Amino acid sequence: MNNSNPTSDSISRANSIARGIVTYPKTIVVISLMIMAALLSALPTLYKDTRSDAFLANDNPALVYKNKVKAQFGLSDPIVIAIVNKSENGVFNPDSLALVAWLSEQLTYLDNINSDRITSLATENNISGSEEGMEVIPFFEELSNEQASADLIWQQVSDFPLYMGSIVADNKQSTLIVAELLDENEVESTYQQVLKLIAQAPKLPGDEIHVAGEGAVSGYLGSYIDADAQKLNPIAGLVITLIILFAFRRFSPALLANVIIAASVLMTLGVMALVGVPFFVITNALPVILIGISVADSMHIFSHYFDLQARRPLDDKKQLIVETLVEMWRPITLTTLTTVAGFIGLYLAAYMPPFKYFGLFTALGVAIAWIYSLIFLPAAVAIIKPSASKSMVRRAKQRKHDKFAELMVKLGHVSLKHHKKVISFFGIIMLAGLFAASNLTVDEDRIETFHSKEALYKADKTINHYLDGTNNLDIVIEANETEGLFEPGILNKIQALQNFVLTLPNVKGATSIVDYLKQMNRSLSGGDKSEYQLPNDKALIAQYFLIYSASSDPTDFENVIDYDYRVTNIRVQFNKGSYQDTRIAIETLQRYITEEFNDSNSNATLSGRVNLNYHWIKDLGESHFVGLAISLMLVWIVSALLFRSFSAASFALIPVISSILLVYAAMVLFNIKLGVGTSMFASVAIGLGVDFAIHTIDRLRVTFKLNAGDWDKALAELYPLTGRTLFFNYIAIALGFGVLISSQVVPLANFGTIVFISVSTSFFASMSLLPALIKLTKPAFISDYYTPSEQSIMNSQNINTHPKASYSRALRSLALIFFIASASYFAFNQQAQAASSKEGIEIVNKVNNVDDGQQVTRKLTMTMIDKRGKTRVRETQAYRKYYDQEKRTVLFYKKPTNVKGTAFLTFDYKDTAKDDDQWLYLPAMRKVRRISASDRGDYFLGTDFTYEDIMLEGKLELTDYDFSVLRNEKVSFESGESFDSVVLQGIPKNTGIAKDLGYSRTLIWVDTTTWVVVRADYWDLKNKPLKSLAMTDIRTVDNIITRHILTINNHKTGHKTIFKFSDVNYTSKVKNSLFSKRALKQGR
Amino acid sequence: MKRKNIHSFVFLGGLLSTLFSLTSTANVEISSTLQTEIGITDKSTLQKVESVWQPEFNISISDSLDMTFIGRLRFDTQKNLGYKGDSFDAYGTLNGPVYEANNTDFEIRELYFDTQMADVFWRLGKQQVVWGQADGLKILDVINPQNYREFILDDFDDSRIPLWMMNAEIPIGDDDSLQLLWILDQSYHRFANNGSDYQVTSPLLVPQPVAGIDIASFKLDKPNNIFKDSDLGLRYSKFYNGWDLTFNYLYHYLDSPVYYQQLSNNSVAIDAKYKRSHLFGLTASKAFDNWTVRSEIGYSTQSYHLLDNDSQAFIDYEGIGNSKDLSSVIGLDWQGLEDGMLSFQWFQSRLLDYDTDIGRAMIRPRNNQIYSALYQQNFANETWKLEALAMYGVDQNDSSIQVELSHMLESNLKIWVGADLFKGNKQSLFGQFNDTDRLVLGFEWGL
Repeated sequence: MNNSNPTSDSISRANSIARGIVTYPKTIVVISLMIMAALLSALPTLYKDTRSDAFLANDNPALVYKNKVKAQFGLSDPIVIAIVNKSENGVFNPDSLALVAWLSEQLTYLDNINSDRITSLATENNISGSEEGMEVIPFFEELSNEQASADLIWQQVSDFPLYMGSIVADNKQSTLIVAELLDENEVESTYQQVLKLIAQAPKLPGDEIHVAGEGAVSGYLGSYIDADAQKLNPIAGLVITLIILFAFRRFSPALLANVIIAASVLMTLGVMALVGVPFFVITNALPVILIGISVADSMHIFSHYFDLQARRPLDDKKQLIVETLVEMWRPITLTTLTTVAGFIGLYLAAYMPPFKYFGLFTALGVAIAWIYSLIFLPAAVAIIKPSASKSMVRRAKQRKHDKFAELMVKLGHVSLKHHKKVISFFGIIMLAGLFAASNLTVDEDRIETFHSKEALYKADKTINHYLDGTNNLDIVIEANETEGLFEPGILNKIQALQNFVLTLPNVKGATSIVDYLKQMNRSLSGGDKSEYQLPNDKALIAQYFLIYSASSDPTDFENVIDYDYRVTNIRVQFNKGSYQDTRIAIETLQRYITEEFNDSNSNATLSGRVNLNYHWIKDLGESHFVGLAISLMLVWIVSALLFRSFSAASFALIPVISSILLVYAAMVLFNIKLGVGTSMFASVAIGLGVDFAIHTIDRLRVTFKLNAGDWDKALAELYPLTGRTLFFNYIAIALGFGVLISSQVVPLANFGTIVFISVSTSFFASMSLLPALIKLTKPAFISDYYTPSEQSIMNSQNINTHPKASYSRALRSLALIFFIASASYFAFNQQAQAASSKEGIEIVNKVNNVDDGQQVTRKLTMTMIDKRGKTRVRETQAYRKYYDQEKRTVLFYKKPTNVKGTAFLTFDYKDTAKDDDQWLYLPAMRKVRRISASDRGDYFLGTDFTYEDIMLEGKLELTDYDFSVLRNEKVSFESGESFDSVVLQGIPKNTGIAKDLGYSRTLIWVDTTTWVVVRADYWDLKNKPLKSLAMTDIRTVDNIITRHILTINNHKTGHKTIFKFSDVNYTSKVKNSLFSKRALKQGR
Repeated sequence: MKRKNIHSFVFLGGLLSTLFSLTSTANVEISSTLQTEIGITDKSTLQKVESVWQPEFNISISDSLDMTFIGRLRFDTQKNLGYKGDSFDAYGTLNGPVYEANNTDFEIRELYFDTQMADVFWRLGKQQVVWGQADGLKILDVINPQNYREFILDDFDDSRIPLWMMNAEIPIGDDDSLQLLWILDQSYHRFANNGSDYQVTSPLLVPQPVAGIDIASFKLDKPNNIFKDSDLGLRYSKFYNGWDLTFNYLYHYLDSPVYYQQLSNNSVAIDAKYKRSHLFGLTASKAFDNWTVRSEIGYSTQSYHLLDNDSQAFIDYEGIGNSKDLSSVIGLDWQGLEDGMLSFQWFQSRLLDYDTDIGRAMIRPRNNQIYSALYQQNFANETWKLEALAMYGVDQNDSSIQVELSHMLESNLKIWVGADLFKGNKQSLFGQFNDTDRLVLGFEWGL
């Protein structure tokens, strides 16, 4: 049996391998390059898959169903072309309509466009009554050069509700051509063909043509990101090359580092091609990460080699290479293993194929970089035999450091001198990050990938502005038997479902077979508007379908109903496509379908792009935190095995954890959402960040011994060489990723920003926090560590040198990792789920849809009366205006003199995840002060209204409360006014929200004629009556229902506040400049 | 006399235009406040029984032209804070009280026109402009000089000396703006008069008499050319991702004179000069949950500090050292209290040219740090308010505490009681008023 110990074995093995490498360098270089070339030959077979469907596994039910729908109804992610004309007649002029006809015709010639599934004014039919019964005539049947014919078409279309909003804008100014695709995989070239077609289109000066839609987004996304990545990756490579040139003042390291980069990146892609894994959108981030990691390995080797060379310029260079390898293989292997562990963590945790493969192949790339750095690099160096730069030799002779080493020495000096401050500083960062995790929002909106200057982005915004929207949801309804859809019962259910959908947030339109049937019923019943309803007779319905197919093309209905009249589809349009904007609608709708719709006769299933997006984003947050935990765990285990110490492994994780937590804080600070791109940052942060700590700990073990156990000297010695190398390593990675910040692709720029932040933090934490902690705790994994040669001597004397691993410490560290990951996860998961009843939601939507004017100017007199009857009166002037993303309100105090000049401004964002912004101007301070808006339950400037009450202005918030309908009731007030009302109960969704609002429950009386809230009662957190609010003097001003007097009684304090609005005006212009900090100061 | 004439002229002009407006169709709002405050020192003597009447006229001359006039008539039965017989004049030719005696003074606080031309908001006339985000501590709030009659105890709004200036604000987009200031008024800080309660004595701020050395002469060199000596300011305000950001630049005269001291034959000749500096600043604030972060940073190309009169540098450099200065404030407001707020600030100023003989001879330490804490609490629908502000100077271990409890008796009648306390040694900023602790009682009536 062989008794020699493994450590001395590994040294001699490393030595002999290294000798082997430098003895046959050319052979090794040639073999390495040949393997590389072999894998590169597979590269051309790599194919791209930038579809968002690619993010779901092929057997994902949502995806399977979507494909089924596509096969059934020919509904895909369409390309949508909008024609916009802002003249008086809008697009209803002969020229614009001719353009619609021309485009609709030309599109049919494009290969991948489903020529049967082009929907536009030129392809659709009008249904009208005639003497023979029903006439189904194309709208464009009599299109001529006369304005009169265009007017007639407008008259017909505007009388057909189905088309209003879906293909024609209500204000006449826009119309759509919707083109479905045959093969969505070919969308990229189809999109280019459509653009070419549009460039040739015979358009007149007044017409604008926009191309958008989910098909266009998919079509352009791939090439858009590719173009950007192809521009940025070389820049990243160039930046890194320059840094290496700068660090070593030699060309060969830069060249060889680039070979390693090429090997790692291209061979990984080659392997992907060989095993048939496509290049996904997120794969674009892979090269940049591999560039960062490969360059680190080669820099460490070069740094060590040049250092030896500078100190011993006369020695044989091959010998120096051998020494370098013997010394450096260990830390490089350590960092490779931990980085691989981090990415394998992503592979294990991810549920979306692109992420899984991303983790797996990045790990492979890291391994390739490792092999090439340890084999190819020394061989190549042995051939080139580069010498250290003169300045390096000179400094080595004079035992002096260069500027960068000095900089690091300075950093070390400061960190070690103030080690407690450093520890507290990072402690604060970590706490802030944990807190921030609770405010992270998951969101993804593919259109936001594009820079706002892109034509596609503008087109999307334009179409969503004029029409019902570019984001489609399909509700597929299946009856149990053939011709089941003739059943009036089922059709009525479909109608109710369609009406319900229309009340959901961001839903702008919905079309179904019911719309056709209603139009047919109307046409056949003399054209009266009151006849626009579903016929209540199965035979009659069957007859309608028959008449229709007799008088038009029988395939007309193929996109809404199947041949057997068993399956039909409601297509719903959203004007917003982000996860957060559609989430509530999808969840509410799904509940409605399960509870109200599905029965033994028929059932409904959600499909379409919006539903698919919902499914692939909804678990993103969870997957992110689980992935984070698994990666941290794996890195911890691997580090523990390598360092043979659990505490060393825990120490190695501290910089990475602090960097991740800081990134959370930064994401909240800069309002970056946790999306597809950004959620990947954690694995990258771990993979890249842990290396700094590993090098630090590994080096400290050596310097501790070299300095005979003097902690201060050991720590100080870390900085000049290892510190300097890590510094260049950091600069290379940070600038490499920093290049991404300039990307036009918004998620890529965000990704670059956060990786930059995390790598910077990891580096600084490894160089300051870690040594500071080591200085404070003087851990045994440093002091009790034996260098391999010592170990071999001691082993020969049978002395046990392995420090005993402390299992309680291990458990503690494990517990810490679990705590951080689960605390972040739970903090994050506090976000509420919707659970209002269907009727509740319907009423809330009705209340929220009551017009309260785009803008309003009014006087508000606040009277505050205390329980002894003492009265204070304040007179204010108020303005309110709706903007795209927010509602802005400003209030100027006019009287009495003591408060005159006080002013209050708020921006209340539609995005409920975003905190409102509020400012208060106090004349005595002469300063506009930013105030926190999170205390929604605080009382507003001495009144009995809370800030939230003021903000909502009688609207109701579905994201805060679960609403249910209690009863109908007549409400009467002392003023003599009385209202028939429905009583809603609102219960805050969770205790956090209840605490925020200060209410445990609220009852709301909604007038059933006008749908305005007329009374509300509130209960405090102990469920005791708190306040009662009554709205009186309700009358219309400028056709808008306006509540003029709001009286609120506080039952706990006996205090009462009366808000009286006067001089209300919804029509006079409200200048944007009023909602500015300047206006607050000027008091107008 | 000359200045008085100018003031009388301006005042008359203001009054005439007021009357003109009153008789025309213009819309006039007249309001005023009467405030009386009694100060009692810790030696149980009356420090002040001061009544201030502050009338305000807001006149809408046309749709796009408004005028504001704010006057201030002050009457104090005591003479402990009085000004009559200033050793030198801090006001520019166009500024200063219209009438001033020991017990009474009257001044035009503000007189300006607001108009909007070519999408630019103009405010022209005598006014206050406040930059910065800090409370109670000034880095960028240096556009208007300050009247130190009651040191820092008076509201800044009352103690700031309004200046004649052109103030243009150009909106950029919906949320950003560029402000341009052209200040044509050579008024500077007015320190409390010799012998008054708040006379500044700290060696940090005024040269100290040395035993056996007489003052041979005192010369004041004050800028007085309206155009050549005017100040210029630029501020870009941006609202980005929920952050309020401003980028500031001010080319100005520092508001305190620099006391150059030439020693010769047991006497010292003092040459007080006002010096210019460039100030570059940045402010940022944002609310996070219950927290609001306010921060402010300023870099001055010049700042002047007195030297220790025992040092060689004192003789070589006439008692004055010059250094670049980098100052900042980080403030955190916590609004998590129901109807209350806790606010902390960390102020620091660092001299950047310190590693020289001059630097070492400066009386002021290189770093100057002040911590402040503010607590505000409203009760009973904001009819009662408690406010406590504490400031602590780290380097000199001195502090000030101000506490006030106020009550809105009626819509327009507020009463209060408060205490102002200083602690520290006589050499320090707050400590110099260690003997001037006081109790105040007051009311304000809005008319």
